[in-house]
Amino acid sequence: MAELGIGIGWRDELDLSIARLPGVDWVEVVAENLHAEHLPETLETLRQRMPVLPHAVSLSLGGAEPLDTARVVHLAEVARALDAPLASDHVCFVRAGGLDSGHLLPVPRTREALDVLVANVRLTQSIVECEFALENIAAVLEWPDAELTEEQFLTELTERTGCKLIIDVANLYANARNLGTDPVKFLDGIPWERLAYVHMAGGVERGGVYHDTHAHPVVPEVLDLLAELRHRVEPPGVLLERDDDYPPDSELAAELAALRAAVKW
Amino acid sequence: MVSREDLASRQAELLHALLARGPVPAGFDEARLHVEADVLRRKRTRLIAYLRPDLEEALGDRFAPLFAEFTAGQPKTDTIRTHAYADEFTTWLVDRGDLPRPKRRFPWRR
Repeated sequence: MAELGIGIGWRDELDLSIARLPGVDWVEVVAENLHAEHLPETLETLRQRMPVLPHAVSLSLGGAEPLDTARVVHLAEVARALDAPLASDHVCFVRAGGLDSGHLLPVPRTREALDVLVANVRLTQSIVECEFALENIAAVLEWPDAELTEEQFLTELTERTGCKLIIDVANLYANARNLGTDPVKFLDGIPWERLAYVHMAGGVERGGVYHDTHAHPVVPEVLDLLAELRHRVEPPGVLLERDDDYPPDSELAAELAALRAAVKW
Repeated sequence: MVSREDLASRQAELLHALLARGPVPAGFDEARLHVEADVLRRKRTRLIAYLRPDLEEALGDRFAPLFAEFTAGQPKTDTIRTHAYADEFTTWLVDRGDLPRPKRRFPWRR
């Protein structure tokens, strides 16, 4: 049996569902939505029963401007309050030139950008007291002049920082669809011994572009890719992210069961 | 060799193109840039609607296009919180006459 098992992204709207859903082994929370001083009571209760891991979305670790360490300190405080063994953010940037994108944007896959990311991750690791992991994002645009593939970029990142990886299979699928990357090559190039856990989410096609909405059911192709990943590694955990258009509990339970089946648990 | 400063300015240029209808940075696919800009706008539109259901209720179908116009001219900066940004949108709507000027419920507050 895996260390974490099957999890779901904790959201206010899913609060009651998560408490009564069968087969939830752990949850992940968006760190920016919490304050270490006053965690929601239901989360405090959940924490007695299962791991609760904080996931950040605003550190902008791929950003070339100086790291906003106050945000890292907030993540560290939330991780400590949750007694979490691992905290995370994404391989992306969200702020530059005084503007805030509000969503994860890709960084150039160049040596220069990797150096910046590595420096920011090392600084983050010196502030956060637990293990730190980084997640691959879904991109609809690409920077010119890439020097590395995404799997090479992620591999070097883990080698140089000792960080772990969250592999988002839906993001991998989105990039395959939208950017034409080869998901099997990606899976072949990932250092699986660094895997923290796997993210799964639903999406929808709109105007010829696959959108990773977290508001639709997980599509069969993404479940197939999870099975493909499972041929290479038994993931420590698999987490379903649902952020909008929340379905009835029975549908969520069915989605969780489908994840469990895909990883043969 | 590109410096960290150069990368910072290229990232700023990209954000400016995506959020404030700035020029397409060299080497980027213009069609993809529009798709990404649309993704960012949708995401923020939903967040503002979530925080301020009163605005979406008052504006109906005009909510999304009006927010798109507002945010392109006045993109969210990294120092303003989302609630305050929603307030700026409200002020912009009132100033244009798209929303009635609110009655002052708290006369001791200016």
